[in-house]
Amino acid sequence: MSKLASLAVAVFLAFAVAPAASQTLTYSWPTNVGPLNPHLYAPNQMFAQASVYEPLVKYRADGTIAPWLATAWTVSADGRTYDFTLRPGVTFSDGTPFDAAAVKANFDAILANRARHDWLDLTRQIDRTEIAGPLAFRLVLKHPHDPTLRELALPRPFRFVSPAAMGEGGTTAAGLKAPVGTGPWRLVATRLGVSDTFAANPSYWGGKPGFERLVVKVIPDPNTRAIALQTGEIDLVYGAAGQIPSEAFLRLRAQAPAFSAAVSTPLATRVLALNSARSPTDDPAVRLAINRAVDKDTLVRTVLDGIEPRADFLFAPSVPDADLGLAPHGFDPAAAETLLDAAGWVQQADGVRAKGGRALAVELDFVGTNAQQKAIAEVIQADLARIGIAVRLVGEEESAILARQKDGRFGLIFGETWGPPYDPASFLSAMRAPSHADYQAQKGLPDKAGIDAAITAALAATDPAERKRLTAKVLTALHETAVYLPISHAVAIEVHRSTVAGVAFGATLNEIPFAGMHPASATAGR
Amino acid sequence: MLRFVLARLALIPPMLLGVSLLVFVVLRLGPGDPALDYLRLSQVPPTDAALLDARAMLGLDRPFAVQYLDWLWRALHGDFGLSYATRRPVLPDLLGYLPATLELAGTALVVSLALSLPLGAWAAAHRGLWQDRLVRGIAVLGVSLPNFWVAFLLVVVFSVTLGWLPAMGSGTIAHLVMPALAIGLMSLSVNARLLRASMLEAAGGRHVLYARLRGLSERAVTRRHVFRNALVPVVTATGMHVGELLGGVLVVETIFSWPGVGRYAVSAIYDRDYPVIQCFTLVMTVVFVLCNLAVDVAYAWLDPRIRLGDDAA
Repeated sequence: MSKLASLAVAVFLAFAVAPAASQTLTYSWPTNVGPLNPHLYAPNQMFAQASVYEPLVKYRADGTIAPWLATAWTVSADGRTYDFTLRPGVTFSDGTPFDAAAVKANFDAILANRARHDWLDLTRQIDRTEIAGPLAFRLVLKHPHDPTLRELALPRPFRFVSPAAMGEGGTTAAGLKAPVGTGPWRLVATRLGVSDTFAANPSYWGGKPGFERLVVKVIPDPNTRAIALQTGEIDLVYGAAGQIPSEAFLRLRAQAPAFSAAVSTPLATRVLALNSARSPTDDPAVRLAINRAVDKDTLVRTVLDGIEPRADFLFAPSVPDADLGLAPHGFDPAAAETLLDAAGWVQQADGVRAKGGRALAVELDFVGTNAQQKAIAEVIQADLARIGIAVRLVGEEESAILARQKDGRFGLIFGETWGPPYDPASFLSAMRAPSHADYQAQKGLPDKAGIDAAITAALAATDPAERKRLTAKVLTALHETAVYLPISHAVAIEVHRSTVAGVAFGATLNEIPFAGMHPASATAGR
Repeated sequence: MLRFVLARLALIPPMLLGVSLLVFVVLRLGPGDPALDYLRLSQVPPTDAALLDARAMLGLDRPFAVQYLDWLWRALHGDFGLSYATRRPVLPDLLGYLPATLELAGTALVVSLALSLPLGAWAAAHRGLWQDRLVRGIAVLGVSLPNFWVAFLLVVVFSVTLGWLPAMGSGTIAHLVMPALAIGLMSLSVNARLLRASMLEAAGGRHVLYARLRGLSERAVTRRHVFRNALVPVVTATGMHVGELLGGVLVVETIFSWPGVGRYAVSAIYDRDYPVIQCFTLVMTVVFVLCNLAVDVAYAWLDPRIRLGDDAA
């Protein structure tokens, strides 16, 4: 055989035996993932924390709770004591066993920094924690707290780092020695401003992930992210709809089979909160008229490119305890005008209604740099102008809008429910705190005290039927008083290249099921 | 010359002190609260307790004067504090990002000069002909197009459609081409136009006529008596463009996911990350002063009539 022929054979063989699929999954995120401390917040990115650290229990898409690092649990009759049985044979990726002592050490570290977690009801409810056996952990609350298991499932703070990796004296508030968890991925490298690299955890109790490596490139710009996917710099886009521009999503979706794209079921609700403590939205007729005058179908089709579905209620019917069968305030401008006429708001020559010399004018506050909010605000302004309500648009920086939500300086303001697993209980719970836009918007309702009392009772209810009844009472009151204008349901999107398979949506926005994804060619062998 | 340079360098510390105070005050005069931004980044609802905790963590609960003096004292020891957003020391990160930015801005400057000088000279040599019109057309376009738009246009053509260049990232020369061109296009256009005008002006001078009368070759006349004299305004413009280039870097780095200081600064501004903005401003002040100094020195070299300081007397 000539040299050339043998070379040709060698080259052919090299290609034939080379793995056809890459063992690396490349994803992107606007920033580096942070030092990955499970018990702290920014700059730690939740999706990465949730990939390295695991909870006792897992929240499922249908609103139920599944065993995770705890295989079973019992709740005492008074709803205050939770006894968890821990999964045997689990180790942290440094070899330290995961046991009741490790769980207790983590709870102690979290509660030593209690003020940082004050926003979460459960932190305030924990009375004490106990080691009840090598794999038995007991959590005792001050009062019964219905969302306990859902709040334990959150990406932070109730997840577990190896006690050997904690900081001085078993604390985590000032940093870790290393980010060591029990999860499917280990953080192995961080290049500032460039990428973070994770390796599959070979000893993962749930089975090895489908890819050997997960590289997360730092891409701050949504347009760049879309182009990076198109040119093969990344394999996957996954997350809130803003990850890539909606037109890019539609364009890539049209390029099947090179790309596969999907939209999740509703995760949260975009709403405008209507301030019931401020004129003119203190008038229930005005709030109802606003709800009937906005043509959401057109808005969703044009501004949101039809990617997000229209919302009729504060929570989607798929949210636990939220399917009440109420009648939506449908789009009906004529009915809106009748409502305003009956309430004494008389149409003036300038096209704006007035009552007692007071014009029917309202201020709509939005994040000025958010193009989508701006477009929605403009559509709503035009819709309301048609029934004689003047809307003044106020675009400000995000933190300025947050400040307005906090102290009630708004007429109409954008908001969003928190999504699973917070909806509905934790979100309703927050409505009772004056620092939330919801509290401020509801402050003027005649029965605000009754709503808050029902929320408090629902949170403490140990009987599911009673909890459902109380939740229904709250949601019905909020719907009938029209203190929100639900706009659309926020969704997650994903687009991946054909080289990746096994992409599915997680139960929450912040948990990306990377471990279940695998190279597409591996499918044939399975 | 040396005394001039040293005098200018000696001005840097007092200038930095003034700039630091100004930035410190102006940042805190604006509306908004970095603690709120921190909670937003943390995706934590801004309850009153959470805000108090965040303010204490970021050191914002102390009086203004204490904050400034504490910051100044630490800064004098090389500690510019922790970034609010990344909770990492600011100076090492900033200095870590700076080389990538200087690489990009430097390449943009080189590209700009390497293209603008021949283009300008070419246009001047063909005054009124199609070559001249072409260069003038390019110049008008280059000055009018915003750099981020040029960046996206380049990406669409060279990455998405042709697949010749990487759309994002850093590491190879191929990664440099599009961002450097996007940033440098404005400076390139201005310089080409400027050199053309100033060469035509110089060509009409009496010293050029005299040089021709002396029987010098046309090539020598153009090179020694026209081009070199015409360079002075271009150097002035380039000195001013350094600011434009660094400003362009701020936007273009985000588009190309270039791991530079511009992107670091842009997100710091968006997140009201005071320690990063303060340190960034000081570092940029030093860069600007040094660039202007370099331009002044280049002047003196190009035009012996310009005397720097009084050391030549």
